[in-house]
Parts: sequence; C-alpha cells; structure tokens
Amino acid sequence: MKKAMARYTFIWPLLGSVLLWIAISAVSGRFNAGQIFSSARLCTFALLLALGQMVVVTSGEGAIDLSQQYILTLAAYLSCDLMKYNIVLGLVAAVGAGALCGLVNGLVNIYLKVPAMITTLATGYIIFTIVLVISPGMTTLPNSDFVNFISLNVGGFSMLTVISIVTALLLGLLLYKTKYGKQLHAVGQKRVAAGYAGINTNRVVITAFTLGGALCGLSGTLCGAFNGGAFQDMGSTYFLPSIAAAFVGGTAASGGKSSVAGVCVGALMMYLLTTFLNAASLSVGMQRLIQGAVLVLILIASVSNDTKKK
Amino acid sequence: MKRQENQTPYIQLEEIDKFFGITKALQKINLKIYAGEVIGLVGPNGAGKSTLMKILTGVLSPTAGEISISGKKMERYATKEAKEAGIACAYQDLSLCTNLGVYENFAMLNLSHGIFTRPGWRKDAQKQAKELLENYFPGNNIDVGKPVERLTLAERQIVEICKTLMTDNLKVLILDEPTSALSTDKAEQLHRVVQELSGRGIAVIYISHKLDEIRKVSDRIVLMRNGMNSGECDPDEITTADLVELLGGTGDRSKKREGPGEEIHKGETAARISGYTGKGLYEINMHVDKGEIVGISGLVGSGQTELLNLLFDSRKYPGREKKGVFVNATVSYVSGDREKEGVFHLWDIFDNTIVGNLDQVKKGLFLDKKKSENLAQTWYDKLKFKAEGIHSPIMSLSGGNQQKALIARGIASGAELIILNDPTAGVDIETKQEIYGLLDEAKRAGKAVILYSTEDSEIEICDRAYIMHEGEITEELTGDEITVPNIVRASFKEVKQEKASAEKKETVLNRILTSRVLLPVATMLIMILLNAYMNPRILSYMGVRMLVSSAVPLVFAALGQMFVVVAGDVDMGNGYSIALVNVLVGIVLTGNPLVGVVGLLIFIAAYALMGALIHVRNIPAIVVTLGAQFVWYGIALVIAPSPGGSCPEWLSAIYRFEFPVVPMPVILCAAAGVFCWFVLFRAKYGMVLRGIGNNPAAVERSGWSYLQAKVTNYALSGLMVVLAGTVYTAVCSGADANSSVSYCMLSIATVILGGCEMAGGIVAPGGVVCGGIAMSLITTVLTSFRVDSNYQTAVTGLILIGVLAIRLITHKKEVR
Repeated sequence: MKKAMARYTFIWPLLGSVLLWIAISAVSGRFNAGQIFSSARLCTFALLLALGQMVVVTSGEGAIDLSQQYILTLAAYLSCDLMKYNIVLGLVAAVGAGALCGLVNGLVNIYLKVPAMITTLATGYIIFTIVLVISPGMTTLPNSDFVNFISLNVGGFSMLTVISIVTALLLGLLLYKTKYGKQLHAVGQKRVAAGYAGINTNRVVITAFTLGGALCGLSGTLCGAFNGGAFQDMGSTYFLPSIAAAFVGGTAASGGKSSVAGVCVGALMMYLLTTFLNAASLSVGMQRLIQGAVLVLILIASVSNDTKKK
Repeated sequence: MKRQENQTPYIQLEEIDKFFGITKALQKINLKIYAGEVIGLVGPNGAGKSTLMKILTGVLSPTAGEISISGKKMERYATKEAKEAGIACAYQDLSLCTNLGVYENFAMLNLSHGIFTRPGWRKDAQKQAKELLENYFPGNNIDVGKPVERLTLAERQIVEICKTLMTDNLKVLILDEPTSALSTDKAEQLHRVVQELSGRGIAVIYISHKLDEIRKVSDRIVLMRNGMNSGECDPDEITTADLVELLGGTGDRSKKREGPGEEIHKGETAARISGYTGKGLYEINMHVDKGEIVGISGLVGSGQTELLNLLFDSRKYPGREKKGVFVNATVSYVSGDREKEGVFHLWDIFDNTIVGNLDQVKKGLFLDKKKSENLAQTWYDKLKFKAEGIHSPIMSLSGGNQQKALIARGIASGAELIILNDPTAGVDIETKQEIYGLLDEAKRAGKAVILYSTEDSEIEICDRAYIMHEGEITEELTGDEITVPNIVRASFKEVKQEKASAEKKETVLNRILTSRVLLPVATMLIMILLNAYMNPRILSYMGVRMLVSSAVPLVFAALGQMFVVVAGDVDMGNGYSIALVNVLVGIVLTGNPLVGVVGLLIFIAAYALMGALIHVRNIPAIVVTLGAQFVWYGIALVIAPSPGGSCPEWLSAIYRFEFPVVPMPVILCAAAGVFCWFVLFRAKYGMVLRGIGNNPAAVERSGWSYLQAKVTNYALSGLMVVLAGTVYTAVCSGADANSSVSYCMLSIATVILGGCEMAGGIVAPGGVVCGGIAMSLITTVLTSFRVDSNYQTAVTGLILIGVLAIRLITHKKEVR
C-alpha cells in the first residue's frame, strides 16, 4: 500500500478531487459530472504551466521557473497580435517566444551560475517590462477562427481538454520512454554523478528550461484566446494553482522525480477547489485563505519522506 | 595500553541483536571495552561495524541484548546516556559546519546552552582551539578564525578529530576511517595521539580498512563478519595476509600475473598527455594504451583526481590534441565517492546501470525495455549482486554492492577507456577481488583502464603505474617494480619544480575586494552620488530623511528574508505577510491596541509554526511559503476588504521624530542591521542559527536542536516582518492588503545584493541594510533620469543577474 502510494503519486490529488466533487455536490445539492468537465477545461492553462514547471523542477539543484506567468502573458499578446495575419504564425511565434525565454533562463542559470530561482525572478521582471513596453501597440483581441477552434467540443470533451491530454501524453512519452527523459531524471538526482555518467548536464538542463518555456507559450496562446484577449497581469491568476499542481502531483522539489499523471490530476483538483469555494459563495478573502490552507495541508499530507530535500 | 588481568570492562555489550525488519544487521554481538585499550575493529562492508557503533553511541537502540557501564546494567541507553558515559565518535562523513570558523565549531560543542555568555568568550574560545590543535597535531598551521570551508580536506579531518577529542569526560573514542584523507605524516601524528589517549586511560575504537595501520595502532583486533563476531586476535601475532584471509580475501595477490607467456595484444594509444601544466598539475607526461591497466598513486591530494578529470573532460575532443592532451577513445568514469558522484538514489540497479550509455538500448526514438533489461541482467549476474533483482532500489544495497552497480555502469557503457577514481573505497575485500577480476577482463577485451587508488597495495594489480606528488608525476613503475615500498618511496620523492606558494597572503586590499559587503556598500554609495548629482539638495538632513525613509520597510523586509535564507530556505510569501501586518497595525492596532498586539504576537507564532512545519514534514520551504501567502492574503482581505485604516499616532510620531544630526530612518536602518548582526555573529546562539543552514546534522551532533533553531530563525523572520509592516504603515499611513506585494521579490533581490548565499549559512546583515537602501534609491535615480517607469522592473532584474555574475568573478577562488 505504502509502496503503491510512493509509486503512484497521483493517488493523493485523485482522492482530493473526489472529495471536492462530493463537497461541491453537497453544496449545490445535486451530483453533476459537468463540474468535473468544466474544471478540466478551466484548468488547462494552469496545467500546462504546471507541466512546464515539473520539467524544470525535475532537472534538480533547486531549479524552478518563477517567470512562467510573465511568459504566459507575453505569449498571449504575441499570439493575439500575430494571429491577425495567420493563425499558425501566431501559434508558432508564441510558443517559440516561450521557448526562447526558457532558453535564456537556462543559459543564464548554467553559464552565469545564477541560481534558477533568482534567474527566473530577474528574467520575469524583464519579460514583464517587455510586455509593458510592447503591449500598447498590439492587437489584444484574439482571432475569432482560433477562438472557435478551441471552443469546439470533441465527444463531450472541450478542445482545451483534448489539447491538454495530447500534450500530457507526448510529454509522458518524452519523459519516461526516451533517452532525454532518463537523462533529465538522472541530472535531477545528482548533477555531478550525471556528468560522470557521460551525460551533457548543461544541455539537459537548458533543454528542460526551454521545454518549460514552450509549454508556457502554448498556455498563453490558449489563454489569450479563451479569455477574449490579452491583458497585462493575466498570468498571475495561474501562478499559485500551477505551482500547487506541480508539487501536489508528486514532483520532487529536490529534482529527479516527476509524474505527468499526478500533475494533471493535481491541476484538476486545484480547479475543483476553486469551483467549490465559488459554489460555497464565500468572500474573496475567505476563498484565498482556504485555498492557501488547503494547499499547505495537502502538501503536508502528500509529500512523502522519500522525496526529502537535500 | 594493555589491560590488566581481572579488570572490569568499562563498557560491555552482551548478545546484542539489531534487526531492521527482516534484515539481521547484528546478531549476538559481544564486545568488551576496557579503559585505555585500543581496539582495531575490522570487517568487510556490511559486516555491521557502523550499526554497532551507532548502538554504542546511542543513536540506535538494540533489538535485544544488554549494555553495561562499569559493570552496571543500563536500563535505558540513548544518545544522552552515551554522552554522559563519555563516548564520542569522529564521523567518516565530516560533521563540521563549513561556514563557521574552526573555533566556533569547537565552541558549539562545549558552551553551555544558556542564553547569556560572558563577554569575551570568542577570544577565549579561539585561544583554546589553537592550543588544542597545536597539542595534538603540532605544526598544523591552521588558522582557527578561518571558516572551515577554506581549509584543505586533511586540515578538516584534523579539526574533526580534535573536535571529538574535546568531549569532556571522554572515555571511549571511536575513529571511523580517520586517515582516509590524511597524508602519512599526519596519520602518524594521529597514531601518536591514539597512544597518548590510551595512556590516559581512554579507550579507542579504531575502524579502518587499512590493515597495516590497524596492526600498528591496536592492542587487540576485533573481527566482524555478517553482523556477527568472527574472532579476536593479537596484532603482534598476526600478519596482514592472515588478516586478509580471516576477512575473506585470498590474501595472495601474487597470483595475479599469470606467467610471462601469456600475450595480451597491446593496442593503440587510448590517451596521451604531453607536457601539460595547469589546474594543479605540472609537466604531466603519460599515456594509456588499449589492453592495459595503468595505476595512478601517490599521497592523497597530489593531483590524481585533477588528472583523471582532465582525461575525462578531454573526451569531448576525440582524436584531437588540445593543450597536449589527446584522447582517442570513448571514456567512462567510475567514482568511489558513491554518495556524491555515483549513485542515483531514487533509482534501482537497472536504471543505475543502463544510464551510462543509453544509445545502445535505444530502438528508434524510444528506449527499448527488453534490450535495457537484458543489458542490466547480464551485468547483474556477472557481478553477483547481493540483492533481490535488477529492480531492487539502489539505496537498499550495501556500499560494496552499490559500487558494483557503478562499475557495471562504467564497463557496460562499452567505453574503450575506463577511468576509476578510488573505486574500492569502503568496499569489502571480497568485492574488491571481484572488481580486480572485472578490470582484468576488461583489459583482455582490449580496453584501456586507469585505476587511481588510495590503497597502495591495490596498484600492484596494474601493468604500469604513475606515482604523483604535488601535481607532478615523480615516477613511472612497470610490471614487477610495482610494489608498495617503491610506491611509497616515489610518493615522497622531491618534486623538480619550485612552485609558487599556494597559500597567498591575505592582503588588506584582497580582503576588501572579496568582502561580501563591498558590492552593496559600493552600490549604495553610487546611488547616493547619482542622486546627489541630479539633485544636490538631497545631501541635507531633510533630503537624506526623505530618501532613506522609503527604504526602511524594504530594509526590514530583507532582514526578515535573511533569517529564512540563513536556514537555507526562502520566504516567497513575505509580500503578503507584510500586507497582513500592515492591515493588523493600520486597522486593528489603531482601533484596539491590545487586540492588535496580541494579533501581531500570534502572527510571529504563526511564522514560527511555519518553520516547525517545514522542518518536521520536510517540505520545501518555497512551496509552503507560497501556500502560506494566500493564507496571509486571505486574512488581510477578511480584515480589510478595501484599503483604509490609519497609522496610530504614536507610531507616526516616533517615525517622524527629528533626531539630532542623523535622521530617524537612518537610525532605524542602522539599529536593525546592528541587531541582526549581533544576533547572528556575536550571540552564541547565532552560531547555531547559521550552522543549520550549512550542516544541520553537525549542529545536532553537537547537542543543539535543529527544530528549535529553525523555529527561532522563522520567529526572528516573523519579527522583522512585523517591523517591516509597522514601518510600512507609518510610511504610507494607511492599510491595504494589496499594496506591499512587491516586497517579496525586492527582498529576495536585496538579500542577494547584500551578499547572502541562497544556499544558506552565509549572510551579511550590514550588506543587506546597504543593499536595501541601494535598491530603493535605484527607483529614485531612474525617476530622476526620466526613465520610463515601465523599465524600472527590468532594471531590477538586470541588477540581480549582474550582481551574481560579478560575484561569480570575484569569488571564483572560494568556489570549490
């Protein structure tokens, strides 16, 4: 049992999701699977950020990306602006810009030896400035064709959910079935040892940051279209849920351990929590308070002792 | 000292059993320790030596069996009782806080735990430390004021041993592999120390894999195998070869060279170094051919590891000569430092083995499960692992078996040149023999092998050997010339070159240049000058007051952040916690002082609780504080859904009080800095507060509580947050749950600019104060230069990266 818990880290958030669903049903007075579907749709953006965060954190040595929310905003602006010429161009440019931001984070972290937390804090400032400077001259309304596309319904699932699932599956393949995935997990456990095992650790870490940035870019593109446009602090809403989802889902903060399934369920749970708090019609203050408290409690319960920080 | 007849043993362990689940680590162990006796404890890895010592020091309690002290049976036996009985252990993994000075490490052990100490204790502690070191290791030249991280490994080991010797009422001293980093002369000094202690009636338990050493120092040799006693012997009546045999080795190494008739095809050159100088190496000339084992030896720390790393790094330029280094082979590296450089602790044997070369188990884009498992299984069978299968977690194995996995990784990678860095450190004799066999096999398969070993006799299995001293190769031995006496002789051979003394005198200029506070002080001065240049009037009393006034909340916020950072954590939620204090002061305290004060006290307690939570559940601080920020924010919003409130009058009166000569904000900043400096660097408990950020285990071993120190750090941080929030209320005379969010990022930036290390342990309160003032002046400067306010955040970001990049250059020497 304990072994299974340690191996299948998504059990905890799954349990939490079920409990929350029951709680929502109790508050609203009827059982309705629709809440799960709508949470799944709403959690897309935080989920993509959380997956990106997971990849970065898994590279170890305290790697974390605090610039995610700004990358998301930048990508949203770029996609909205460029999609007026061409949808694919907008998508590629936004994801590419995200990847570029991630690449810069990785390069600064590795070659200037600035701790990841500080690097991304600093680049976050810079990216935010870029957003402030370029945003006044940009189209902030999304392309209507693209909006229609993401609003499609595929066999009961929202297009956003489909995109999430496909992304998660691809990421799962990359992390658990390829050479890069193995190397990433090795680097995350012990960089020196990975170096002696013949792994180009710098490249692996920089790639992790780049991949994480690209996921933020994708998230921003979808988010801009979904919210009917880009605005300057659109990313901040997703900051806490994404970080929470990443860690609740079983990402080891010390690196070397990840779980795509766990993070997906974790993101879903965070949005069920929001839905619940909304349904219970609490004040914003109480909502935040409960959100924070629940997060801390879940962490206390779920972070097992084998993922000790160094 | 030999014991007399009929003496009662000081400590007697009888029929000790220790089971971990179904694993029987110790079975029916008996050990009598007499006063003044030197016991050499030997046994293969996994024999249970460490477990037995943990029972003796009270860290583990036995499953069954009896422990008596001076003939009296002990009902309860834990670390406290062991300490009272005078049992102390010098650990194999060093138990020093490397950020603290040598004398502080000593003082942590023997100072009383009361809050107050008499003034001048630091000076006395320094003197005592110096005397102690000089007494046991004359001529050591260790500066006791230096932080341990600036000492060499051998110096650290000496400090470690001396720290253990300081235990008052020392009765039994346990030395676990004490000479692993010591040169021969220092090891001999240690042996003299052991003799002296024994003469004073102190028993010494000497654990070592170096059997010659054991024979030399001990009065009695105790052997252990598989968690059981396997006999005792008199060191004078037994030879090393006999001992090896008793421990399960064949003891006869002469078998290794099988007649001169056998031809091993000597291949082409795998690696060659000609005339290389640099990285602690001088004029290196050497080569390795395919189909031979080349040994590297010499005193520890003579440049062997540097040489191996040079070869390993040069694999990136195959077939090309660069600076005289030429490598024409695929290379793999096996480290003996399993803990730090070897095993991937979250993985099983399987993953640990295949990671060395993933290309050979690939099928198209993906890794092939079958191929990988076949590869791992082949090596698993070949190396005779003692485990349940290839999917056993690596951490469930003994050290020797972990090492097997690393060697499997190195050889299974298919590399043509295998570099081994002390692969048999802490490995039992049986496994060693198996490793030699594997190396021999690799050689026959036409691979080139380089073996560096700290055990001289191990070099005898090599075909050729280079002996190093002070970064030079002093001699090359071949074939039958490779004997321990020859190696030892060459190890001490005079080096040809006169080298610049490595220890540079610390000049005053140098010290200023590498000082942690240089950068923040310089930045602050530049900012003040720039401000004055733009607007000369600010150099007045009122001008300075106005300029610094807005910096005060940031200074406090950053000092609060610093107390968390010193413990190795980070507070991502202080932006909102300052807001909560702001609301508590601006709304609650103004309305009802008593409730307000109680609220603030509860807030500090909540911070302390957060610290306790992070410690007890071992959750990363970054996540907990991120979660907590929403709790702070929520409470603040509940109290003040919209901005409002006011600053209590007494508070604004204090804040606006016109102090003569120096404006109030400057006094506040200075006082805060001095207070924090005093707490961390002058007060006794400051050592503990800083120590836990570096090596919590060492702090605990010195008898201090890690939990308590961490809680104290967080409580102090909470106190600073309260002050920051209070001052913030005075500055903006109102309360708003949303307005102080930026302090989180700014305080982290300030702490870094101020010269603190995010990794913990190293902080500089003075630097943080100057950094805080500098950071807030930057905004003023940018405004007066008419820089678009949009760019100001970017400037902060660039400064952050810039500061750390600068520090990378100036502090390069300290990075190890």
